[in-house]
Amino acid sequence: MLDATFIFVWPTLAGPMDGPAIRVRDVKRTYESRKGFFFQEKVRTEALRGVDLEVARGELFGLLGPNGAGKTTLVKVLSTLLLPTSGSVEVLGIDVAKDPRRVRPRIGLVLGGERGLYNRISARENLRYFSDLYGVPPSQQGRRIDEVLATVGLTEAADRRVEEFSRGMKQKLHLARGILHEPELLFLDEPTIGLDPKSAREMRKLIRSLVAKGVTVLLTSHYMFEAEELCHRVAVLSRGRIVARDTVQGLRRLVGGDRTMEVEGYGFDDAELRALKALPGVSRVVTEEFGPRQRLTLRIRSMDLTTGEVAGLLRAHRGLEVKERRTTLEDVYLDLVEEEAS
Amino acid sequence: MSAPTTTVLPGLIAPARPRASGPRVLAASFRLTVLMFSADPQWIISSLMAPVVFALAAFEMYRFSSPVLVLFSILGAGMMSMWAQTLYGSGWATGQDREFGTLEPTLGAPVSYVWVVGGRVVWNTISGLIGGAVVLAVVGGAYGAPLPIRDPLTFVALFLLVMAALSTVGLLFSAVFVYSRYAGFVQNIGEFAFYVVTGCMFPVALLPGWTLPVSLAFPPTWALDALRSATFPGYGGLPWGLTGDLLGTVGLSVLYLAVSVGLFRYVTRHLAEKGAAEEW
Repeated sequence: MLDATFIFVWPTLAGPMDGPAIRVRDVKRTYESRKGFFFQEKVRTEALRGVDLEVARGELFGLLGPNGAGKTTLVKVLSTLLLPTSGSVEVLGIDVAKDPRRVRPRIGLVLGGERGLYNRISARENLRYFSDLYGVPPSQQGRRIDEVLATVGLTEAADRRVEEFSRGMKQKLHLARGILHEPELLFLDEPTIGLDPKSAREMRKLIRSLVAKGVTVLLTSHYMFEAEELCHRVAVLSRGRIVARDTVQGLRRLVGGDRTMEVEGYGFDDAELRALKALPGVSRVVTEEFGPRQRLTLRIRSMDLTTGEVAGLLRAHRGLEVKERRTTLEDVYLDLVEEEAS
Repeated sequence: MSAPTTTVLPGLIAPARPRASGPRVLAASFRLTVLMFSADPQWIISSLMAPVVFALAAFEMYRFSSPVLVLFSILGAGMMSMWAQTLYGSGWATGQDREFGTLEPTLGAPVSYVWVVGGRVVWNTISGLIGGAVVLAVVGGAYGAPLPIRDPLTFVALFLLVMAALSTVGLLFSAVFVYSRYAGFVQNIGEFAFYVVTGCMFPVALLPGWTLPVSLAFPPTWALDALRSATFPGYGGLPWGLTGDLLGTVGLSVLYLAVSVGLFRYVTRHLAEKGAAEEW
């Protein structure tokens, strides 16, 4: 019995194996809707305003951004559900606008949420239906469905109606459906939203295991720690544009350094702020106001600057405490999004 | 014995993937529709109870008229319900896909949505046939209404043809449901006009002359005329006779199928342009 079978496949059937998993060039996407009743007015919303992106094969890439930034729109464009208004999108070397049918068997999409499943039938029946839709051979269906149910931890609930499932269980079933046909590229749109901490941790473990098996993953998330923990690289999408893309480390450097100092107090004046900005190693000073109270956040490039030096500059304010911590992805994200907004 | 594994020669190409086959998706969609219907017993009202109620009401109204008129009214009432089931059911399932949020993952599958709708149409047709059989059994058998059908076998064969012709209309209408979430409103209004112009309740010959071209645009008009010509004693029907009716039914049904396939391709593309698959 042969353990391995070597097969030849026409390149035109499958698409090239080299090159990036995703290549997006100047993609724009505009939605049109109508306002009014008798005299309707066309309203145009630009969800994507010239996005450029490349994701390598085998990479776990994070897409971050506030609500309405265009993350889901971009995922839908990449997964052939939406056509771009302009620009080019290649997924696994195939133009998604010209040839979506060739892309679809090779990608998985997990949009998540309460909807998107047939609630009146069981989890197993849902998976059986979608395995037919995605071309899983009948001889392999039973085994494959059992496998994915076990992978997401739904074996016990496999024959229960989906309407009895909790939000977390539905989320797991969405993921099971997404990986049912063993896609090379998986799109995960906020996969841990609504999950309890334990389930979210299991989900992240599962995502890591998929990447370890060679699956390319593009993940959107609101949770910065999740992206920081999981992703090789991240991009920040704001108002339909990618405002930064790099490793988490690279993004920290981009916004001004690995170190962050914070100080809270009242009545910091412009002269003090200017003096803080002028300190050697300070790349950025962000001021936030909470009623009369202010918080100053300093991004620091240099390792030489101490909290004492900062406190010294603000000695006019009594009892101030300058705290130091590592710059998180959340800091980076907020800086970038605020910068874009301003 | 270890399971064989498939390894691709290292190089430029990805492994070939099994492709979803249309007929298999049709069967899967049929199965899903049966499961969904059995999970929601409301369908029994529309497919089994309503036809019997309509037919009994029609029988009571015409029981003292000629037997052919009684037959007309009973079958007309039964068919009206069956048509509702077939026409409405197929589109309604697409509307449900919108509501459940399953339209997007279904459209994102590597197979044409027309196969998914096809499976639903098959179930709805069968469900309509079951309804028809129940009407005949209850009204003709248990209630004792006269059913002077000339040739029962021909009747059954042509009845199946009527349902097949109707399915093609159901398929075409379903594309409209994919196109817009408002299709249900249009269909609710159009349903009754459809009953009239296709001669469901009474022969199209009784309608004003100007409506005939509209009637003839629908395959069930031809199929129903064939059914009545061949099995109803004393039925006049359309001037071209049974053969003309059969050719018209088959030709128009094939045309409807072809247009449906093209229309589905167009509406799914349009949906990807508009981005409205999750609206409901």
